[in-house]
Amino acid sequence: MITKTEIEKANFRNVWVIGEVEDGTILPVTHELLGAARNLADKRGCEVWAVLMGSEIQNPQLFSFGADVCLLVDDHRINHFIDELESKILSRLIEKYLPEIILCGATSRGRALIPRVAVSCYCGLTADCTQLDIDPDNGDLLQTRPAFGGNILATIRSSNHRPQIASVRPRVMKIPQPDNDRDGITIFEKILPSDEINNKKVVDVYHDSQSAINLADAEIIIAGGRGTHGKAGFELLHQLAQKVGGAVGASRAAVDSGWIPYTHQVGQTGQTVQTKIYIACGISGQIQHLVGMQSCDLIIAIDKNPDTPMMQMADIAITGDMFEILPELINEINQR
Amino acid sequence: MKIVVCIKQVPASNDAKIDPLTKRIIRDTVKSIMNPFDNYALEESVRLREQFGGEVIALTMGPPAAEAILREAIALGVDSGILLSDRAFGGSDTWATSYALAKAIEKIGNVDLVICGKQAIDGDTAQVGPGIAAHLDWQQATYLVEIKRKDERIILTKRLHENGYDICEVTLPAVVTVVKGINTPRVPTLKGRLASLNAEITLWKPEDIDANIEQLGLNGSPTRVVKTEPPAPRTSSTIKIEGTPQQCAKELVRQLRLRSIV
Amino acid sequence: MHNPLDHIINKIYHVEILPPKQESTKLLADLDVFKEKYMRVMESGYCACITDNAMGLMAFQGHEIIEEMKLPVHSDQVMIHLNTFHTKADLDNILLSCKNLGIESLLIITGDGSDRLPKLQPKDIDESEVESVTSVELLRYIHRAYPDTFVLGVAFNPYEPPNHEFAKLSRKIEAGASFIITQPIIEQNPQVDRLLAEYPDIPVTVEAWMSKKLSLLSDAIGYKISEDTQFDPIATLKMLHQVYPQCGVYLSLVGFKTQYDLIKGLWI
Repeated sequence: MITKTEIEKANFRNVWVIGEVEDGTILPVTHELLGAARNLADKRGCEVWAVLMGSEIQNPQLFSFGADVCLLVDDHRINHFIDELESKILSRLIEKYLPEIILCGATSRGRALIPRVAVSCYCGLTADCTQLDIDPDNGDLLQTRPAFGGNILATIRSSNHRPQIASVRPRVMKIPQPDNDRDGITIFEKILPSDEINNKKVVDVYHDSQSAINLADAEIIIAGGRGTHGKAGFELLHQLAQKVGGAVGASRAAVDSGWIPYTHQVGQTGQTVQTKIYIACGISGQIQHLVGMQSCDLIIAIDKNPDTPMMQMADIAITGDMFEILPELINEINQR
Repeated sequence: MKIVVCIKQVPASNDAKIDPLTKRIIRDTVKSIMNPFDNYALEESVRLREQFGGEVIALTMGPPAAEAILREAIALGVDSGILLSDRAFGGSDTWATSYALAKAIEKIGNVDLVICGKQAIDGDTAQVGPGIAAHLDWQQATYLVEIKRKDERIILTKRLHENGYDICEVTLPAVVTVVKGINTPRVPTLKGRLASLNAEITLWKPEDIDANIEQLGLNGSPTRVVKTEPPAPRTSSTIKIEGTPQQCAKELVRQLRLRSIV
Repeated sequence: MHNPLDHIINKIYHVEILPPKQESTKLLADLDVFKEKYMRVMESGYCACITDNAMGLMAFQGHEIIEEMKLPVHSDQVMIHLNTFHTKADLDNILLSCKNLGIESLLIITGDGSDRLPKLQPKDIDESEVESVTSVELLRYIHRAYPDTFVLGVAFNPYEPPNHEFAKLSRKIEAGASFIITQPIIEQNPQVDRLLAEYPDIPVTVEAWMSKKLSLLSDAIGYKISEDTQFDPIATLKMLHQVYPQCGVYLSLVGFKTQYDLIKGLWI
């Protein structure tokens, strides 16, 4: 078993953030991770390193967000996400610089990339963390994550392996206030020798206007279910969402009925969301839906039937017809 | 094409009951089901075989009772089932799980494609698929909504991500994970189910897959769960709003203002 | 083809039988129990009604059990529930099997889905003008694709907002439904009274709740029914016969061990 002794462990230092870069732009999840990393690094008395892999990365100096070092791999061959390539680069950098903790976003990309890294480095990986802390007794990373659809909070550690890796749920950690006086150093690293680059390639990319309103990024979700009765009902939800700058979610029943694409589905076979406000319209609340949204801060339910599980779970339960109430609500908001 | 589909038995509950005090779901995890995402993986593997010929093998790791989902898979059209079950596998985290599954896939031999569901609904990690790919040092593609064959050795995969899709050429052998939407899984027929009752399930132990025992189960797992607790309770009471639509809307806005949201 | 009114004239109970669940770990035993119940209903001259993944819980289909177990079919003694949670291929397979088996009576319902059940899509049955398939479209499709083959019935839910429900019902009748079965009632119900007044020419069968557990009924219909701890299904059944002498009766969750022999002779 490839565990690390205390002496070996001492060689591993610093907290890394694996940034997310798309078309040269650094995505906000990177800044969130830097905030979390800064907090951990201060407790450990070490540095925060931002690791960026991409092509023509814009404004890579992330010092103002808490990074001490920016480790840059900027190469035209990293213009699209190639899992194997990025994981190999990262594994090589880990071997070279020996970080103690690595954070990456629990995004589609992060969750594809980081397990490969954890396997090749034989180290522990905890998925989709919502809280991170340092054990004051031994310096271990304490990683807390929801499991069983948010019904259990598990705290996980990896005492005998280094680095300790966690993917972190987007929108949970706060983006720190930028401090423009902070400075740091930038290290440029090369991509792999070309014979280690595989033949995988991305041949087409398309941004989808439907999934562009990413549920995970929203602060407010207006969601509809069977009681939305069709596309006209969802049109009403879209209107309200536009008004309040929210996104539209849906139950499985609504998606299966063809009223709205799958990318909007919240719940067990869709997405798990943790927004500030979740407005459930005509969603009875099957358990498969509830596990996808029960961690939202404020749950508002609108339903004709006051006895549904959703109406019981809601912080605010409005008994009535969404087709009558939502237009009034839009009116009310317009008047403000 | 020789396809291995990795499936998992997970606890399930059909009933949504809400605890009136904590506003949390009361979970009665008495039933075990096939992980919902695995249905899409199974369907896709069977469809690929129907299109291109070959063989589909369902693989799972779990207690002896996990045999049930292998029979379900056989009822749905896979050719055979392999169960990794042994005390030595117990307590595996995603590192050790993907190691054991990868060793089994090596043992099966000549596998072209491994298909997994996006994630299991109990652990929700989505780490095992990429983990298998890493152990085997194969290419991977995750969150797929479409798989097409380009030629003997290359598949075209449509990957779903946060703001759209891309099409990625993947060279076989490879590991892929799929999401809902890639297909509409068939429902087992009575005939299929009756036939599956007598199907033979292969049981493999660590020595059958030439696994390093040090890397299996709790022993081989870098992570440890040190504490589990229920999530913090939600608010203890529901504010109920009734009345005319206009009254309801006004009251809702008032409630949001009280919380300084509007 | 049989006339759905015959069930009422000849005092033929509809007796619901739940098919074995897909998740069953003792399928063979469950099939035997199903067969036993089915044969008892046949011997009584009643009509066996087999549900279709009721409440979204996956079960085997009535037609495949009848085929597999080689059960006898009398055209007026079997009714199959059929909902909109099937692929087109499965749907046609069910309808063809029913036709070949001589099953005439189908109760067409929209049904409850689940993560595992495929929803029939409008384009599957050339209904491009609707957003999703309900019992109305399914009725139309069956009439179109299998003319003069089936006797089709629909459900009526007295617990839904009445105007909405009656509007739906009129679309169902227009689409070719020739009998109506209500959701379970445990007392005289004003919506059922209105139903009888509005549709005097269509056979209506009221569903009697034969379980002592009213909480299950609340779960099934999604609305809370105030619980009477002393709920007596047999007495309620008698009462329903008195209140609705012009209606047939559909028995749900009837206890074959404890109740079945008691219901004989109740319908006078």
